[in-house]
Amino acid sequence: MTRMIGTRMIGTRMIGATATALAIALLAGSASAATKIEFFFPVPVEGKLAREMGDIAKRFNAAQSDVEVVAVYTGNYDETKIKAQAAMQAGKPPAVALVSANFVLEFKLNDQIVPLDPFLAAEGTTKDQFLADFWPALHGNATVDGKLYAIPYQNSTPLLYYNADLFKAAGLDPEKPPQNWAQLIDYASKLTKKDGEQRWGLMMPSEYEYLGWLVSAFTMANGGTYYNQSYGGEVYYDAPSTLGALRFFDDAVHKYGFMPEGVTDQKAVSTSFFAGNAAMVILSTGTLSFVRENAKFAYKVAFVPGNLRNAAPIGGGSLVTFKNLPEDQRKAAWTFMKWLTTPQQLASWSRFTGYFAPRKSAYELPEMKAFTAQNPDALIALDQLQRYGQPWFATFNTVAVRKAMEDEVQAVLSGKKKPEAAVKDAQRKADEIMLPYVQSTALTVGTGG
Amino acid sequence: MSKALARRSPAQIGSAALLCAIALVWTTPFLWMVVAAFRLESGGSRDMASLLPPLQPTLENFALAFESADFAVYYLNTLLVVGGILAVQLVTISLAGYAFARLDFAGKDVLFTLFLLQLMLVPPILIVPNLTTVVRLGIYDSLLGVMAPYLASAFGTFLMRQTFKTIPRDYEEAALLDGARWWEVLWHVLLPLARPGLVAFSIVSVAAHWNEFLWPLMVVNAPEKRTLTVGLASFAAGAEGGQEWGLLAAGTLLVALPLVVAFLAFQRQFIDSFMFSGVKG
Amino acid sequence: MAAVSAAAGHQAAGRWRQSLTALQARPYLLLLPSLVFLVLFTFFPIIEVTWASLFRTAYGQHSGSFVGLDNYQRVLQDGAFRNAFFNNVFYAVGTIVPSLVIALFLALLLNDSSRFKAAIRALVFLPTLIPLVAAAALFSFIFLPGIGLLDHYLAKLGLRGFNWLGDPDIALASLSVLTVWKNAGYYMLFYLAGLQAIPSDLGEAAKLDGASAWQRLRYVTLPLLAPTTGFVAVIALINVITAVDHIVVLTKGGPNGATNLLLYYIYQNANEFYDAGKASAATVISVALLLALSLLGLKGLERGAGRDE
Repeated sequence: MTRMIGTRMIGTRMIGATATALAIALLAGSASAATKIEFFFPVPVEGKLAREMGDIAKRFNAAQSDVEVVAVYTGNYDETKIKAQAAMQAGKPPAVALVSANFVLEFKLNDQIVPLDPFLAAEGTTKDQFLADFWPALHGNATVDGKLYAIPYQNSTPLLYYNADLFKAAGLDPEKPPQNWAQLIDYASKLTKKDGEQRWGLMMPSEYEYLGWLVSAFTMANGGTYYNQSYGGEVYYDAPSTLGALRFFDDAVHKYGFMPEGVTDQKAVSTSFFAGNAAMVILSTGTLSFVRENAKFAYKVAFVPGNLRNAAPIGGGSLVTFKNLPEDQRKAAWTFMKWLTTPQQLASWSRFTGYFAPRKSAYELPEMKAFTAQNPDALIALDQLQRYGQPWFATFNTVAVRKAMEDEVQAVLSGKKKPEAAVKDAQRKADEIMLPYVQSTALTVGTGG
Repeated sequence: MSKALARRSPAQIGSAALLCAIALVWTTPFLWMVVAAFRLESGGSRDMASLLPPLQPTLENFALAFESADFAVYYLNTLLVVGGILAVQLVTISLAGYAFARLDFAGKDVLFTLFLLQLMLVPPILIVPNLTTVVRLGIYDSLLGVMAPYLASAFGTFLMRQTFKTIPRDYEEAALLDGARWWEVLWHVLLPLARPGLVAFSIVSVAAHWNEFLWPLMVVNAPEKRTLTVGLASFAAGAEGGQEWGLLAAGTLLVALPLVVAFLAFQRQFIDSFMFSGVKG
Repeated sequence: MAAVSAAAGHQAAGRWRQSLTALQARPYLLLLPSLVFLVLFTFFPIIEVTWASLFRTAYGQHSGSFVGLDNYQRVLQDGAFRNAFFNNVFYAVGTIVPSLVIALFLALLLNDSSRFKAAIRALVFLPTLIPLVAAAALFSFIFLPGIGLLDHYLAKLGLRGFNWLGDPDIALASLSVLTVWKNAGYYMLFYLAGLQAIPSDLGEAAKLDGASAWQRLRYVTLPLLAPTTGFVAVIALINVITAVDHIVVLTKGGPNGATNLLLYYIYQNANEFYDAGKASAATVISVALLLALSLLGLKGLERGAGRDE
């Protein structure tokens, strides 16, 4: 019911916005003098967001007459990367693309995107001044070698969602979510039900892309750093902190039995949560709006429990602009990126999607204050980011290096491998993949041996 | 009814029951699709798998589907791609099929074998070099790029060759004696007689290209050039959200509907065509 | 009389000469439109991909350098490639055999024109017409652990705890079920066509000789259907090597590579891992494999075609 109303309201709002945009566009007259640029964007949450992004581009086009943006919906993050690279090979790179924040390093290493510092310098500001308004956890993935290559646009972290009704039924206090791994194991075991309607104490997505993110989250919560944040050729897979994280996964399935065996994707996890088949789930904060609309029971959110410390790696997308653009498009790209990342635009997109607004000042806006007052769970997610946010795994050839670990963890989750062997094999594979980069960078000096 | 049943042997009744069971299993996914598409239920619930029709059918899922994706454009693009491919194919396969069926020339066997190669080397497996070719030809990110690799068809050529061969030469020879040119013979005599082959190929070709996914996914960027299958995949592969199952069912229904309706309307024609393509192929 | 026939003879000779010259160019002109596209999108790509498989672009360089057969060596030594290869073998056997058996079985049962049987034929054929992507979307719910269609009804029988796509031991088998569901009806039609081409008096004769239904099937029907089987097997083989839409939508090759197939491996290396050399070498190997296997089936195909003439 709530979702019906919600949808209708969004629908009406959108029609209103479109009508206004159209009217303005008509009044503004011909846009023939404007520089036309392409903007590639993925929509990782839901189809209707694609429509909203189209409307955002229309609003931008109506608001000024120098630049005309064509918004191109390019599927999910991986597809957007593939599409952007195919477009570059075809000699028509998009002016701006919204890319997964941890692909920025790879784009830079492959020499495909340009630093934004010159744009800032032309406006008399610096990278540090510009980034000061962005949450600190986001800086790492936006900069490479001390230069700014991307502007954060929509961000997320993992978050613990739990079913308060099931907590009560199991004799747990819904106001006191698990704080650490020991409690997480204890709660999850109590919430698990094996007879009658099966119910899992804890579920998390373990398909490619999601799993790597969560393994890094657990490793960081275990005191580790998982990868070298300032060098793209090193990962710490075969390290005690990572091994401990994998042991948690293994025990959750095979020792305590509160998590299902094998791989469960995020569809299965969210659907199980809504159906009451999973009492606690770890999902992205980007799912918050979706949960709000679909949960038919009292749900609550909490920080992802830590072991040695709390840690929540960021996720989400950033804006980049590509090499080899004609001068007018280069300028137009910057104009559009700047407009998209104004506090007002970021705040409005955040309310629409459930992502964080990456700028601190976005939360100072009156409309944002009203929103967070109404949806305090959004503040919990934000609080976690501010206090425990960590940068996101990024290396040379990120996807392949990430998969090297994911395959091994999937084997562990399926009972095919022990964590000790898994981390060793993952390290070996990852080192092999990163070797060309390592050879041409870190080993170029003193390679005599 | 009971009399009719009584007249049948146990074996016949057994096989009928078995057939019913198979048909049931085969239809269940469709049944769920239809039921779920009209049911108001998005995130998930325990009886989401129920196959009972909803008490209050809703069009909400379809409204959402149309709000999320430009289905009108996807339909149009799919029609353009499918129609465009077929139109050119009919020309190329008729000509080539005629040559292989009726003419003798040096290198015929070699050429025929080369044609047959394409039967195996369907474009998806050559996706990497084909994409480069499409870029080089300047038809990347265009519907023409989606169509290009399919404009010649070894399967169609083979089918037309076989079809032409079943037509007795007397007809043509009579026409030739009347002073008709070869293309007149082809157009007025052979093609009308080869109609079953042409229809069969058309239906098989339309069905194949309506369903094509990986290639259009790689070739097309712009949303206004997307085909139905590419549009649908974005429904089924959201990354950081949950799955809206009702929306997924509605979207799938919209994508599958045109061919399924056409099939139910022209069932005989479809079955005969696919069978014909088998006999001759 | 003689004049008439002489005139006719002259005319015929003229036509003969005329068609002789035409004969030299015409066949090639007729084949030209097809050849243009075949060259562009089949023959040239094969040459190009073979050429590309001999080069490798090192990090930081913009063009590749010649490396000989190095890419092939890397592919053959790649555990992921071997895994994809064996998965594909398993997937081929696990889909082609059941599809063909079911298709033949249905064709034998449905080979008459009653309304009831026509309806069943139509229902079984229906999945052929929906896109593989759409089928995958439906099966993403069917295979959903715990709540999905399959588990919902299995739970009523007291069976539970399956993770259809998430358990590496059964994920590929689950995808095979999807493939069989999608294709069996298609292959059934070929068998129906094959059955109709068998002269009915053959069966009658065998019947008179006292052959049982099974013997008639085993010694009359099946041998006569051999060309059909060869043809269907080739189509099915092409299908299992070239259709990976459901992998893209459902598993992306996981869990732990359990559903990675050759074409998806190629797609991944080209697009995700930026290893054009490896992708090209893997393409060449797959193409060679496909050709070699199809050749066997093609023999059957030519035999089947010969029967018509």
